[in-house]
Amino acid sequence: MEFALFLGCTIPARLNQYESSSRAVLKKLGVGLVDIREFNCCGYPLRNIDFKVFILSSARNLALAEKKNLPVMTLCKCCYGSLKKADYLMKENASLKKDVNSTLEKEGLKYEGRIEIKHLLSVLHKEIGIEAIKGKMVATFKGLKIATHYGCHALRPSQVVGFDNPVAPTLFDQLVEVTGAESIEWAMKLDCCGAPLWGINDKLSMDLTLKKLTDGKKSGADYVCAACPYCHIQFDKVQKMILSQRNVNHPLPSILYTQLLGLTLGIDRKALGLEMNEIPITGIEELLAKEKELAEQPESTEKTESNKE
Amino acid sequence: MGKHLTMIQLMELDACMHCRTCSSQCSVAVAFEGIPNINILPSEKIASIRALASGKELTPEELRNIQEGVYLCTNCYRCTVVCPAGIDLQKLWFDVREILLQQGYPEYLVLSPLSFYRGLMKEEIAQKNYEEPLTQAREAIAAQCDLMRKKDKVLPLTPTDRKLQSGLNLSAQAKTFSVCFGCQTCTTVCPVVGNYENPQEALGLLPHQIMHAAGLGLRDLAFGSNMLWDCLTCYQCQEQCPQGVHVTDVLYELKNLAVKQVREKTLHPMERK
Repeated sequence: MEFALFLGCTIPARLNQYESSSRAVLKKLGVGLVDIREFNCCGYPLRNIDFKVFILSSARNLALAEKKNLPVMTLCKCCYGSLKKADYLMKENASLKKDVNSTLEKEGLKYEGRIEIKHLLSVLHKEIGIEAIKGKMVATFKGLKIATHYGCHALRPSQVVGFDNPVAPTLFDQLVEVTGAESIEWAMKLDCCGAPLWGINDKLSMDLTLKKLTDGKKSGADYVCAACPYCHIQFDKVQKMILSQRNVNHPLPSILYTQLLGLTLGIDRKALGLEMNEIPITGIEELLAKEKELAEQPESTEKTESNKE
Repeated sequence: MGKHLTMIQLMELDACMHCRTCSSQCSVAVAFEGIPNINILPSEKIASIRALASGKELTPEELRNIQEGVYLCTNCYRCTVVCPAGIDLQKLWFDVREILLQQGYPEYLVLSPLSFYRGLMKEEIAQKNYEEPLTQAREAIAAQCDLMRKKDKVLPLTPTDRKLQSGLNLSAQAKTFSVCFGCQTCTTVCPVVGNYENPQEALGLLPHQIMHAAGLGLRDLAFGSNMLWDCLTCYQCQEQCPQGVHVTDVLYELKNLAVKQVREKTLHPMERK
């Protein structure tokens, strides 16, 4: 199984732990990754301003992957939504596709529409599968409650993205629960993180983020879990800014899904970048019970082992 | 201009050999194909900044182009990583961006997610300087929307102005609004509308009203509403519309049109309050 890894702009610049933890997790699960250095911005930030530039940006990336005959895997939900949208529109509208291709042609590129675009979570759930992930796990969480955050641009518009049931999705919950954690019920689970307005209307963005996180906290979550750099940065760095501005004392820390899963796969904590999150998450390690070792050892030694840790 | 950059930055401007490695790696270089502003490309941006720093008189158009060029950047650091002269390009763009935004030319790109990075860096920017470009861009758009200010004006609804409708043709998806039957589901499920006690006061027209305004060709009402710029693009409205109206996509296209039309009408610096 091999994918062209589409990192986008935000992850390499501002969220290294998402890249390193994703690479480590995917390596463990036997997924091959190809880096295409010529990839550019997916076009998402320009959709408000210039539709044609957005389509062209996305299409260029798709053409580059198609040239190598590789499906694309994104780690970002906004990149995912944009690439899917561009792909959908070009398939629907032949003249748009022709138009885009006439520009791409200048670089010797062309997009036919032959490749698949997947988000990391779909790859884990559909290509690798829950059972296979379980088989590689060396530990599970005990007594951990997670507020699973789906992210808008993965779920909607469902007609375009086809990620999961847009009203009652379960894909991400299943992936969270395989780690032994409980994916809690919370009213605002499918709502926006607030990131699209950060930098445009901070007050509104903060209102929405705080409302969502408060709901997660009230519903009993220990952590919120995301699989998108925008959502995570909003829940991490921006939450930290909100806490200091609005005198809120109880954060709901955010853990990236690859960090959560990585811990159960026994991946080195440095590769998971646990200490790189702005709001500390290292407390989560205390909830990790090493199941496989436990099974092999008598109960008494096992207790001293965990005490040492 | 020169006095706002550090001595190191001024020296760095001279260190650029114009090898164009930065432009070859730039994440948004492809945008140049659609927006023909050479300042989008980092190697050309730095040449323009050098002219600016040397005190050369630049026309308002040149200044606006540099401003747009430094804003149209995802702050991905790729230019900085690859620069063989070791110039901290990322920092240079950030500083020049902030200096130019204070000159009074409205920059509509601030109303896009390109501003996410600026928001993350807000602690480095004085509060007043941070808010002003955002307010200014919205005001510049609203100033072009006469109807928003004349609330009592009686509108002749026939014949309907079809120009706005036919203008919403970018993605072929946006045309779906004509089947809207006004059930307000979009407005009811919108988390932004739900955030306000008096949403109309904060947002102007609400999503279903914008669909209606677009149908009637009332350009000013559609463009002048804060709702347009406060849209999260979370697609809740579009997903739940019983008529299959691509509400979010219509809002996207209206934003595109508004920026395009207003940009041409606001070529000069605005008075700062």
